[in-house]
Amino acid sequence: MQHTVSTKTLVKASITATIVAAIALVTFILPAEYNIDPTGIGQKLGLTTLAQANESDVVVSTNNADTNTSGSQEFKTIEVVVPAGRGVEYKFAMQQYAKMTYEWLTDGEALYFDLHGEPEGDTTGYFESYTIATSNEMKGSFTAPFAGSHGWYWKNKSDKPIAVQLLVKGEYQVIGLKQ
Amino acid sequence: MPNSLIKLSLTLLLGALALISIDVFAHGVDDNTRAFLEQNQGVQFIPFLYIGAKHMITGYDHLLFLVGVIFFLYRSKEVLLYVTMFTIGHSTTLLFGVLSDIQVNAYLIDAVIGLSVVYKGFDNLGGFKRCFNWQPNTQWAVLIFGLFHGFGLATKLQEFHLPEEGLITNLIAFNIGVELGQFAALVFILIAINAWRKLPSFQRFSTVTNTALMSAGVMLMGYQLTGYIVN
Repeated sequence: MQHTVSTKTLVKASITATIVAAIALVTFILPAEYNIDPTGIGQKLGLTTLAQANESDVVVSTNNADTNTSGSQEFKTIEVVVPAGRGVEYKFAMQQYAKMTYEWLTDGEALYFDLHGEPEGDTTGYFESYTIATSNEMKGSFTAPFAGSHGWYWKNKSDKPIAVQLLVKGEYQVIGLKQ
Repeated sequence: MPNSLIKLSLTLLLGALALISIDVFAHGVDDNTRAFLEQNQGVQFIPFLYIGAKHMITGYDHLLFLVGVIFFLYRSKEVLLYVTMFTIGHSTTLLFGVLSDIQVNAYLIDAVIGLSVVYKGFDNLGGFKRCFNWQPNTQWAVLIFGLFHGFGLATKLQEFHLPEEGLITNLIAFNIGVELGQFAALVFILIAINAWRKLPSFQRFSTVTNTALMSAGVMLMGYQLTGYIVN
């Protein structure tokens, strides 16, 4: 049943396949996925916004460098909005045995949350959870068992965005929202 | 073959593809699944079964390869043989990769999976016979590329540090889910291709289809290799 096409057809097919793929990659896929847009067509089509949407949260948090992002003995207030049906992570860089005291509350709705830490330089995706529950507020403190990024994963299971007001004090550097 | 049946199966296939395309940009693991995997404790047989099946049905890279593999197979015995080779391949590396915690770069593995699609499209055009006067054993090729597809599945699961407790059972559930998903997808693909095979357009368009397959494979490779470079 399988047939062998002529050399001419084969060459034509291979070249066509490569050219079509290259065009699709350069004009659609790379702009939309990675914001790499050598032709500018991706931007004209509005595709680069897809990739930028992915990056923006991270950018916002690193742009906060002008405000005070390191911890102190006074409570710092941070507002995080968890979009409907989505989960977000808000993290702090902490040294080993650094302490943090925290308080957070939502505007009423309960969120599933996981307070956890990831060791510095870890690439395996390992993390250790300190508290997992569903609640609309939480108070407490913790000592980082290892150097790395520590913070909350909040999951909004409702169909409306939920704002979280987070108060923290202690020894930390804000990393901010993570995708 | 009555025309209405062909139309029906093509409609079903297009419908299935439309559903798949929603997930295309988020292939990997979606937000709900991620939340589940992060909350997961202990043995969760049915949820892992479901995640496995969903991953396969929405996994366009695996599906494209399967389309290529069974494109010219029309005896059920042959289809079964090749699909079994593929299953042995990907199950081996899925179980082995996760259990022995082998870290492979997900972008590179997915690029090889893209290459497997290019390979199969080229092979279907008779490219190896034409260029080298020799065709690599197709069963071995399916088995070997199956190994890479399994590593691809393994890397997706490893992104979440799965708890040791119940890991083997969960993993087997995921694997069975992958096979169920593959079976479900194969039913659609086979119905459509077998219906199409009876039409004169099949021969005419088989070159175009396999060229498109190669092109899709090159796109996958470009997408994943760029990801590897920028990340």
